[in-house]
Order: sequence, then structure tokens, then C-alpha cells
Amino acid sequence: MAAKAPIFAAAAGAPERRAPLFEREAPFGYLLVLPAVVYLALFIAYPFLMSIYMSLTDAQAGSRKWTWVGPQNYSKVENYQILANDFVIATLPDEAAARRLVTAHDQAKVVTEPAGGRFRAILEADGRRIPLLELSKEDDVSFLGETIGKELDWRVEKAAGRFRVVAYADKDAPVTFGPYADRETVRRELKSDILVPARTSVKTNGKGVLQDPNFQLAVKNTFKYTFGTEAIKLCLGVPCALILNRRFGGRRLVRGLLVIPWVIPIAISAQAWLWILDSTYSVVNWCLVHWGILSPGNIINFRGDKNWAMLSVIAVNVWRGFPFTTIVILAGLTAIPDEILERARLDGANGFQRFVHIISPMVRPILMVSLLFSVIFSFTDFNTIWIITKGGPYDQTQVLSTYAYQLGVNAGYLGKGAAISLFMFPIMAVMVFFMLQFLRREA
Amino acid sequence: MADVVLERVEKRFGDIRAVAGIDLTVRDQEFLILVGPSGCGKTTTLRMIAGLEEVTSGDIRIGGRSVTHLAPRDRDIAMVFQSYALYPHMTVYRNMSFSLKLRRTPKSEIDRRVREVAGILGLTDQLNRKPRQLSGGQRQRVAVGAALCRQAGVLLFDEPLSNLDAKLRVHMRTELKRLHLAIRSTMVYVTHDQVEAMTMGDRIVIMNGGVICQAGTPLEIYDKPASRFVAGFIGSPPMNFFEGEIAADSAGPAVVLSGGLRLPLLRQDLASAAGRRVFFGIRPEHISLAEAGRPLSDEAWAAVGAPARVPAVIEVVEPLGHRVILTARSSAGPFQTETEIHEGVRSGEKADLWFDMNRAYLFDRDTEAAL
Repeated sequence: MAAKAPIFAAAAGAPERRAPLFEREAPFGYLLVLPAVVYLALFIAYPFLMSIYMSLTDAQAGSRKWTWVGPQNYSKVENYQILANDFVIATLPDEAAARRLVTAHDQAKVVTEPAGGRFRAILEADGRRIPLLELSKEDDVSFLGETIGKELDWRVEKAAGRFRVVAYADKDAPVTFGPYADRETVRRELKSDILVPARTSVKTNGKGVLQDPNFQLAVKNTFKYTFGTEAIKLCLGVPCALILNRRFGGRRLVRGLLVIPWVIPIAISAQAWLWILDSTYSVVNWCLVHWGILSPGNIINFRGDKNWAMLSVIAVNVWRGFPFTTIVILAGLTAIPDEILERARLDGANGFQRFVHIISPMVRPILMVSLLFSVIFSFTDFNTIWIITKGGPYDQTQVLSTYAYQLGVNAGYLGKGAAISLFMFPIMAVMVFFMLQFLRREA
Repeated sequence: MADVVLERVEKRFGDIRAVAGIDLTVRDQEFLILVGPSGCGKTTTLRMIAGLEEVTSGDIRIGGRSVTHLAPRDRDIAMVFQSYALYPHMTVYRNMSFSLKLRRTPKSEIDRRVREVAGILGLTDQLNRKPRQLSGGQRQRVAVGAALCRQAGVLLFDEPLSNLDAKLRVHMRTELKRLHLAIRSTMVYVTHDQVEAMTMGDRIVIMNGGVICQAGTPLEIYDKPASRFVAGFIGSPPMNFFEGEIAADSAGPAVVLSGGLRLPLLRQDLASAAGRRVFFGIRPEHISLAEAGRPLSDEAWAAVGAPARVPAVIEVVEPLGHRVILTARSSAGPFQTETEIHEGVRSGEKADLWFDMNRAYLFDRDTEAAL
């Protein structure tokens, strides 16, 4: 309308003839949307653009001078390392020989010899000479050779009818090679350095969040959290909606009670969950002990155990979110005309066939809409996790939103925090795109 | 053979008797219409035949086999619903083949039947469309087609034309009738529209308050209505009723209407019923018009047969084109007539209206049964 106004004035040729400002419709309309526009601009657009800017600077809490650093908060590679584990020392046809080699571990020796301008670490054990490594620096070769040949534990593995002697390290403490400056070197070294079969991977080191192992963990956790939650919500929501769609006494009451988790502010309900999942006073543990399922010494540390923590926060999010899923599916079910289900009965469909062929395809579009909302809520959820675990233990429940807060606000690296929170944007854009695509195809 | 027999079938919803123990036989290959005002139990009856509604008591047999306690899918029936009940997410083809697929009919057989039915109904070009891409009339035909594909012995229709516009409804009426002639399966058709009932059915069953008022061919029902309700229900515009009393004197039996108007009766046996309080009924199409004080023209006289003069004032004139509906007021009360167009008939004018006493009906004032 605003664009058309001058044209209108020109055509009329007499702008003074226009109705007084307050009589016209368009200005009044703009007046009505003004509060919303101001709100969006102030609290959505400004912070969003600000965080984009911030993520491109070295902004830190407490410092007023922000320097432009370009995309280095997102990704800045400094060097590469090769991580290796599970070195196959030897592959032998009979088990006795393999066992003998393992027992000879204590007497084994690693010698370093020059080999064509480089140096080679050779393991001498049980009368065998096994070349392990070949590197350009003598110090590195002897150090890493000792590590693999002497410090790692050895074990016998059976593989394809033969027996392997494997030197293995802890999963989270592999043997590292490098650092190397560029990928080309890494590729070359990967081929020529390790002379026995081993499991290798390349680690990228750098300052950007993409090189941050905690960030990678947070991404993994965010997906775990989101998809775990959504899957369980669906599994609970569909049967609940089917039950609530039947006629029974007190149905309205049950429907009302169902939405309570959804309407209680999460800050309050999560506080209750904090107690329910407390390491000492957990009512769940009390019940399990009381019923004799757990012994008092074996209670579960819901928030502190790294295997239980993720399950716990998922459980809280499901508890809070599945009423919404149920209500939406219920709305979809109620929208199916009775006559269609009656016709399906006449057509010969039993309850299961009615569900598969009629009910679920007809509910699917609305279900996708609810899933879309729900995925966005879970993906960006901060409250639940922050109140229950604060991302712990050992970052096992650290998701993008909590990690952005940790790094950006608690640690003060505003630029990096902004970069992390902005990573949610493209990931969600892709998910939303595919879901909308699906919806459009269905409709 | 797919005849449908209902024996003392009753349906209660709590304290309400929706269907109060009816007996009804639908003959094989018959097109039977269940008609009545809303809430008369016609749809409930149909749904009981379909198996969508449980029978409170009584027995239903289809093709000689009791189906009272069988599931809908085992009853050898197919049904067309008022809202068409098409599956919105399926193409026309899948809508029509769904029941066959569930019955594990071979693919080639399904294809043959769907294409044959689509050919009959003119849906061949629409087979790959979804219902929402179709017009109202096409959806209606898909619903019929889906029922036809089943090749069930009995086809049930629940007010299938009521969602169509007036023009399409008239067209589909003819189509369905032609379809019945072509496939010759037993059809039970529920409607509240007496025009549909009269034009489509081999036989009409009129229901009211959960009971059958009368069953018969359209002409039987039109000519010999069993009660005042049937007489008033069938016919458009509806039959005129006047309160009156039978009187008899030397001139023979007559009916004296409430305003003192005396009309001679042709049936001499009614002389013995003198003093009986009755409703006098006459259809609008059996009343002729003449100018006040003038006798009927010769041809009108010949057509009417046994005319009786009723002086009246014309109140409303509603021309239909070829004919005209007049609302007139006589000393006995207001009534309607449908006659040839008469030039110069205007509202407010006096006229003489001639009742054809051959076509007059008498109903007992208390029982409302025809005399």
C-alpha cells in the first residue's frame, strides 16, 4: 500500500482531496501492527543480527572493543593429527603361538633403525622382528614405538580362523601422530607411517567451534535429545489419542488433566523433576528399592550417571511435550468424519486395517505440523536441560543451546557462543525444509 | 437372490424408540424407497440393515440368511453415504478398489471391475484424481462406483443426493434409476424428499415416528393414501385439509366444512357415518378455477368429473411458468390450488374454485386413518 500511495496521488492529481489521515484505512492498519513490528525488530531481529555480527568478532564479556575476525569463530584449522588404535602386531595361524607372543610382551624390545633417510621402529619379541613405524624424526619414532610396543596392553583376537595379536589403547586415549600442517601431509603420512594394520582417524585441531570436540559432542547430543524425545512422544501420543478418542465416562476430565504438564511453566515442573531425579532423595529410587527391584546400595544416579543423564532429560521433555502431541493427534482423529470410518467397516477393514489405511494417512498432515513444532522446541530447548543437568555429567547432556550459554555467557567468549547458537539455524532450516516439502506433497 | 426381510425389528436409544418393531420385505432386484420426515427412523432402519447399528430386537435376513449378528462386511451389502465418505487421500481408482483389495480379489479382476464400473459412470478420465479435484456430481458418482465395484447383492443409499445442487440432483435421479435398470441389484434408498421417492422407486415405504405408515407403489400411495400423514407428505404442493363433519339428508351424504360450506359426497356408504368428525382432503391439482359466478368451461367440467363449487378470494398468485399456484381463502379456511395459467387472476379478486369430489379424501379426525 505504501508503494502505491504516490501513484494514487499522481493519478488523482489533487493530493489535498485525499481523506484526512485518521479516516484512511491504511495508516490505521499500520498503527495496529506497529507494536508487533517494534517487538519483532527489538527482540527478534536485532538480537539475531547482533549475534551474527558478534560471531564474526572476538567479542568477550567485559571487553568493549570487538575486533573483526571473520569466520574464525566458526572454523579455523591449525593442524591435523592422526589418531591410531588397535595395532595388529601379528596375525598367526595357531592360538598357541599368539599366546606365546603375548606372554613375551614383558621381554619385548623396541629398536630404532635408520631406513632410507627416515627412521624405523622395530619390535623384537619371541624371536620375531616386527616393523611398527617409520617416521622422519628419530625421537618421535622411538617414543611412539615404545608406546605401542611396550606400554599398550596386548590381547589375542580371533579373526577369520586366524589369531591376531593386537596392541590396544583406551578408546578415548588413542596414540596420536603429528601435528601436521595440511591435509596432504596427513594423507601421505597415513599411508607410510604405520607399518602394521591399525584403526586410524584424522583429528582436526583449531580455534573454531567446528574443531571443538565439545561442540561435536553437543551436536550429537542435540540430535539424540531431539529425536529420542520426538520418537517417544509419538509412541506415547498416538495410543493416548486413540484412547481419548473413544467415548468413556470422565473423558473430558482426563483430557483436561492431560494438558497440565504442558501448561505448567517448565521452570516450575523441572524443579519438581530435579527432586524426583535427585541423587540422594529420588522418589523413583525410593520406590524401586521399596519394591525390591533395586538394592539400597545400587540406586541409580539419574543426573550424575553418564548413561542415565540423557535418558533423564529426555524423560522430562517427553513428560512435558507428549500432551501437546496427543492433543494434536486427537484433533486430527476428531476431524475424520464418522461416515468415512463406517464406510471402511463396510468395505471390510478391521480395526488394524482402518488404522493403517484410513486413520493414519488422514492424521498424517496434522501430525507433521505438530512434529515440526515439537522438533523446533526440542532442538532449541534450553530450560529443561539447564535446570536438570546443566549439560553434565562430563558434557553428556550438553546440547547446542546449553553449550552456547556455557561458552558465551559463563566463559565469556561471546563470539564463539554466538557462533554455536547460529549453528542451530542452518540445521533446523534443512529439517524444516524437508518436513514442509513432505507436507506439501501430502496436501 | 438378495431380498431383504425385516421382522419385528426394533431399535432403542436409551428410552427412545427410534424404530418401533417394523416388518418390511424388500424383494430381489427391487428399488425400494424409505421416505419420511427427519427423525422418523428411516436412516436408523437402513443402518441396521447395513450393520452399522445394532438391532435391539427382531431379525434381519438378506438372501434368506439371518445377518442380525453379522459384521457389516459379511452382509453382502454396499452403501453410499450422504457425505459420499470418499477417502480423501486415495485416488478415485483406490477409492473404488479398496474393498476388493481388502477381500484379496486378484489384481486383474479388481482392474477389470473398476474400469467397467468407471465406464458405466463416466469416470474413466478421473481414475487417477483425488476426490478434492472432483466436482460434487463426480464425487457422488465415485461413491456410487465404489459401492458398485463390490458387486454386493444389496445396495444401500443414505440420502445420496441431498448434498447436490437442485439441477444436478434431478440429473442424478435419472442416472441412478437408469443404473438400477442396468445392474438390477436390490436397492434400498433413504430420502426425505418426496419427489425423489415418487420418481425413483419401484415401491415406497413411508415412515413416521418409527413405524411404517404405508408401503406401496408410488401411484398407490398417491391415489390411496392410508392416512392423513401419508396424504399430506406425498404431493407438492401438499394436499389441502379442512376440518368438517359428515352429514346425511335426502340429497345423500355430504361433508359440512367448518365455515358451513356443504360439499356433496359421491360414496353413498358414507351416509351411515353421519355425524363423524373428519378431515376433508383435496390435492391442489384437483381444484379448478373459474371466474366468480360463472360456471366451469365445458372442457374443465369434463376433466373435473364431479365438481363442487367453493367461493373464495385469491390471496397469493405464484406462477410456475406452465402452471400457477394460487393460495385462496374460503369460508372453510385457506387452501392452495395448482391450475392452468388464467389470464387476469389477481390477488384480492373473488373466484369460484371447483373441487373434484371424485378425488376428495376423508380421514377420521381422531385416528387420521382414511375412510
